[in-house]
Amino acid sequence: MKIDLSNPAWRQTLPPARSIAADAPVAATAFSRDGTSVAFALGDGSVRILPADIAAPAAGAADPVHGGAVLAVVADPAGDGFVSGGDDGRLLRLAADGTATEFFHQKGKWIDHLAAHKATGAIAASAGKSAFVVKDGEVREFGPHQSTVADLDFSKDGGRLACAHYGGVTVWSIGQVTLPPRRFAWRGSHVALRWSTDGKFIATGTQENDIHVWRMAQATDMRMQGYPAKVKSLSWTADARFLYTSSQPVFTAWSFSGKGPEGKPPLQFGEEGAGLLSVVAAHPTAEFVAGGYDSGELQLGDIKTKRSVALKMADGSAITCLAWSPDGFRLAAGNERGDLLVVDLRR
Amino acid sequence: MAQAQVPVTVLTGYLGAGKTTLLNRILSEQHGKKYAVIVNEFGELGVDNDLVVNADEEVFEMNNGCICCTVRGDLIRIIEGLMKRKDKFDGILVETTGLADPGPVAQTFFTDDDVKARTRLDAIVTVVDAKHFLGQLGQGSEAEEQVAFADVILLNKTDLVSPEELAKVEGKITAINPYARIHKTQKSQIELAAILDKGAFDLNRILEFEPDFLEHGHDHNHEEEVKSLSITSDRSVDPEKFQKWMGALLQLRGADIFRSKGILAIDGAPRRYVYQGVHMMMDSDWGSPWNANDKRASKLVFIGRNLDGDNLKRGFEDCLK
Ligand SMILES: [Zn+2]
Ligand SMILES: [Zn+2]
Repeated sequence: MKIDLSNPAWRQTLPPARSIAADAPVAATAFSRDGTSVAFALGDGSVRILPADIAAPAAGAADPVHGGAVLAVVADPAGDGFVSGGDDGRLLRLAADGTATEFFHQKGKWIDHLAAHKATGAIAASAGKSAFVVKDGEVREFGPHQSTVADLDFSKDGGRLACAHYGGVTVWSIGQVTLPPRRFAWRGSHVALRWSTDGKFIATGTQENDIHVWRMAQATDMRMQGYPAKVKSLSWTADARFLYTSSQPVFTAWSFSGKGPEGKPPLQFGEEGAGLLSVVAAHPTAEFVAGGYDSGELQLGDIKTKRSVALKMADGSAITCLAWSPDGFRLAAGNERGDLLVVDLRR
Repeated sequence: MAQAQVPVTVLTGYLGAGKTTLLNRILSEQHGKKYAVIVNEFGELGVDNDLVVNADEEVFEMNNGCICCTVRGDLIRIIEGLMKRKDKFDGILVETTGLADPGPVAQTFFTDDDVKARTRLDAIVTVVDAKHFLGQLGQGSEAEEQVAFADVILLNKTDLVSPEELAKVEGKITAINPYARIHKTQKSQIELAAILDKGAFDLNRILEFEPDFLEHGHDHNHEEEVKSLSITSDRSVDPEKFQKWMGALLQLRGADIFRSKGILAIDGAPRRYVYQGVHMMMDSDWGSPWNANDKRASKLVFIGRNLDGDNLKRGFEDCLK
């Protein structure tokens, strides 16, 4: 089975989807490791878990597991449930049925960014100026950095962790041997970070509307400018050939094959959407990309054919998060108003 | 869906002036409103609930290389985070440390698009310790700058000084910043309506907030290092010349200009042109229309350090028709 955007059905109707009004802003979404369920982190302190199958019966509203808002959720790398962080400073493991157990509690801090590494089972969480890594039942602190950790990501092999903060990025070795951290400096506030899927590059979005990319091997860096807004969402393609960025009205990809993107314009394609892309998510295996707009529009793009189709029309509520199922046939999205959307792309 | 912007009040003041007392009252009193409070010292407040958020005053310099263009990145992150909650707020209060420069916190609201979309800077409220203020002036620039930036001043602990001392302190405050509204208080007792939702940064309310805004027309003090000055004219303004002059002025002297605002009678324009800024960052818009019997006049106000009144006056006069 494959997704085929040349199928005329894409132009005639929106694809089948489940949409639930949860009435609380959605901060994050993720599919479970086995792909059978999808979780949404909500502003009322609950994590809503739905079946990935849009026809299967879904449970009603869940009880809050965090005080305040849930700020992040990822698939549990060691099970079929999830891991969540909240502005109550707690990091929780949620079983597939939603039962919560606490990893740790950083009082007075917000757990606002999470990363999970499937192969090693490690979980990384930002809490104030430090990052915490949970691995093999052990919690280790990395930091404090010079300012609050604004985003974090694991290297491809899970042996290192990159943290974004003021003045650049710090890369920690998180293996058994403790090595001094490596620093990659660039002035200003770095607000988003993604490590390339081949491990060779680290990209950040900055407060000042540009993106910064470091080559790990040579520790050289490049800067791409010209965005009308902060780039808060970055996504590398599965083959690491392209880096997708938000904050443009069409899909925008920087090419990292050959000599890299320096001095060249990015590849831009697809139908111009309403507003600017607020979130982008490259497909986990193929040449597709999903994009959510600050207008609420949702698009699916294909870099091979340079086409895009609408998955949802603009409705005035910005898309805040996107997630692909592991098999790449389902897409989850959440928005500011609290709509939980799961789209089935098999048609 | 356009959401209402949440008003943000910045609370500054030297250590011990009474900020914590004021915040405790706002958090514990029955007023039927919900305020989030962003504090710099967790645990100082007697109230411990999820409406209190700890911040670290993480100031960063923007990449333009200018020393005055500094922003509170932590505040951007916290405001974004608060907006992810289901429960909405009637207002947000940001407390700064006793030695903080109010510039970065104010400039955050001029800089970040997301913050601008969801919140609006309402006013800078400075709590002044009547007993210790004059002594604090000699200890550094902070006490003076906090008064210079203020829209509202709580002249607090008035019970600890004699009427003569109080008059001296008030005179000093007025010499630095005659545009702030002063409320004399004891134990930070004040009607919340006097400090919240003032619209001091609202371009449409510049006139409303300062009833005598168009009446003063002279420098108040020549001897102060930090002072305010105003320039008026009833000739109309050439918009291009003004833009050029103001742009160059802020480039050159922005670090020393704490607050600026103005109402301009632009040549041929049916409406008032209003602007206001903090250091080099500025907002401007067309304001209310000139009515037939209005006297078309322009007025500029600067509050800052080492302002050269004659030079500013000459510069502005070159922009007149
Ligand atoms: Zn500056
Ligand atoms: Zn006067």
